[in-house]
Amino acid sequence: MKTLELRNLAKTYFDPYAGSHVTAVHDVSLDVQQGDFVSVVGPSGCGKTTILNMVAGFIPHSGGEILLNGKAISGPGPERGVVFQSFALFPWKTVLDNVGFGPKMRGVPKAERDRIAHEYLELAGLSHAANRYPNELSGGMQQRVGVVRALANNPEVLLMDEPFASVDAQTRMTLQEELTRIWQERRPTVIFITHDVAEAVFLANRVVVLSKGRVLDEVEVALPRPRVWDDLIEDETFKRLSAHVLHMVRSA
Amino acid sequence: MQRDVSALQPRWLTRGLASAGGAAMFVAPLLALVLIWAIAVPLFDINPRVFPSVAAVAGAAMESIRDGSLIEHIGASLLRVGLGTLIGIVTAVPLGIAMGVSPAVSTFLTPLFRFFSVLAGIAWIPIATLWFGYGFGAIIFVIFNAVFFVVAYNTLLGVSTIPLTLRNAAASLGAGRWALLTEVLLPGALPNIVTGIRTGLGFAWRGLIAAEMIATNVGLGYMLFVARDFYRTEVIILGMIVIGAIWLLIDRLLLVPLERSTIERWGMVRRA
Repeated sequence: MKTLELRNLAKTYFDPYAGSHVTAVHDVSLDVQQGDFVSVVGPSGCGKTTILNMVAGFIPHSGGEILLNGKAISGPGPERGVVFQSFALFPWKTVLDNVGFGPKMRGVPKAERDRIAHEYLELAGLSHAANRYPNELSGGMQQRVGVVRALANNPEVLLMDEPFASVDAQTRMTLQEELTRIWQERRPTVIFITHDVAEAVFLANRVVVLSKGRVLDEVEVALPRPRVWDDLIEDETFKRLSAHVLHMVRSA
Repeated sequence: MQRDVSALQPRWLTRGLASAGGAAMFVAPLLALVLIWAIAVPLFDINPRVFPSVAAVAGAAMESIRDGSLIEHIGASLLRVGLGTLIGIVTAVPLGIAMGVSPAVSTFLTPLFRFFSVLAGIAWIPIATLWFGYGFGAIIFVIFNAVFFVVAYNTLLGVSTIPLTLRNAAASLGAGRWALLTEVLLPGALPNIVTGIRTGLGFAWRGLIAAEMIATNVGLGYMLFVARDFYRTEVIILGMIVIGAIWLLIDRLLLVPLERSTIERWGMVRRA
């Protein structure tokens, strides 16, 4: 079943420095099935974050359609959860209240949303940090909170915008493994934006390669799960797929 | 070898000693000033009409406490500053947030608010007495004015510095307009709002004293001004000490703890 459909999506905006209109996204069409995990990879300036911002409803699109379960989206909404590169946790709320924010907005009573928040914190191995404030946590822990905060709201689709780009390399690998584990347990529909080819292949069922605002190619990733780096780093299929995607990204 | 004292003491004691030490460090220079004063007045045989002795000020304090006049003046001043500040905050915060939400409006209004922030308080006294007559109304207006522009400007600044991603995050989690206001904009702007209240209250307190000299017949400012007519320097100095002491108490017992319990806990400003 199709959850998300992008039909000839385009974005043109006026660049005051260039003094002219710039097209960031030309003509992107993409289908995402329910429970699928799709990575969108491309060099910086390829339009990948612009696409995510349009799907999230943060910026309007200038052409084409964005359909969620067959209905056109307008503005941001809780059915599209977002994980931000900058984490975007509320500094004045405890970890528990950050994760319980979505349920609170739905009108879930305090006791019930605390139960939901605790459940998701346990999923991310963060139960001990429930009553701490975001600034007391490491970057990796903050982004774990960011991920489960979005998941706790039960979104139809989870939009992740280079979420692990600002944590150190070791933490990033751990977070990637945890994400694949959580995805297997909960099966959310995920669109994952990244410029890191290995990350895109490691996480996804399908990698969409983007270049200059257009879809260059889509690559199926039929690697078995659960995926762990210690196995995949030596895996021939993983190496071949990564190399294939990398060549496309670099030649683009 | 360095001994770890903290390991030998219970935590509350360590903390109590630290804050007692902090208070002592704060009071010590003030006590030194009093000491110099106590020595200098008899040493140089200063005329009491120019500057009173410590004993004379202490005597004036005892007298004004006994006859109840000091409490009356303090009460009148605190009531005015409390009421004016309350009205100022209650009107300035919503307005500041409303203006801060729109970048265009906030850019347009910022110079205006900076202009009126500078004018806040004392400069308004003459026109306030023309508008409201001599008395309560004029003084409340001056205090309100001192608080209003500074708090509104700082609120506007606070709202406009909240990262866009936080607003986007709230919206994508289902926050509507009201939730955005109460859950994101208000707490996000709180560090600036508290700064605004601290600055505004400082302006208001000074404005109050000045206004009371001109526009009323009770209050600390009035007490100072009337004492001048009778060459009662000991009452003037007593009033000045009370004015300064009350401000320090308000700041350290009310505003600083407010900052500590919220903003610093959130890591939004670092303690200097």
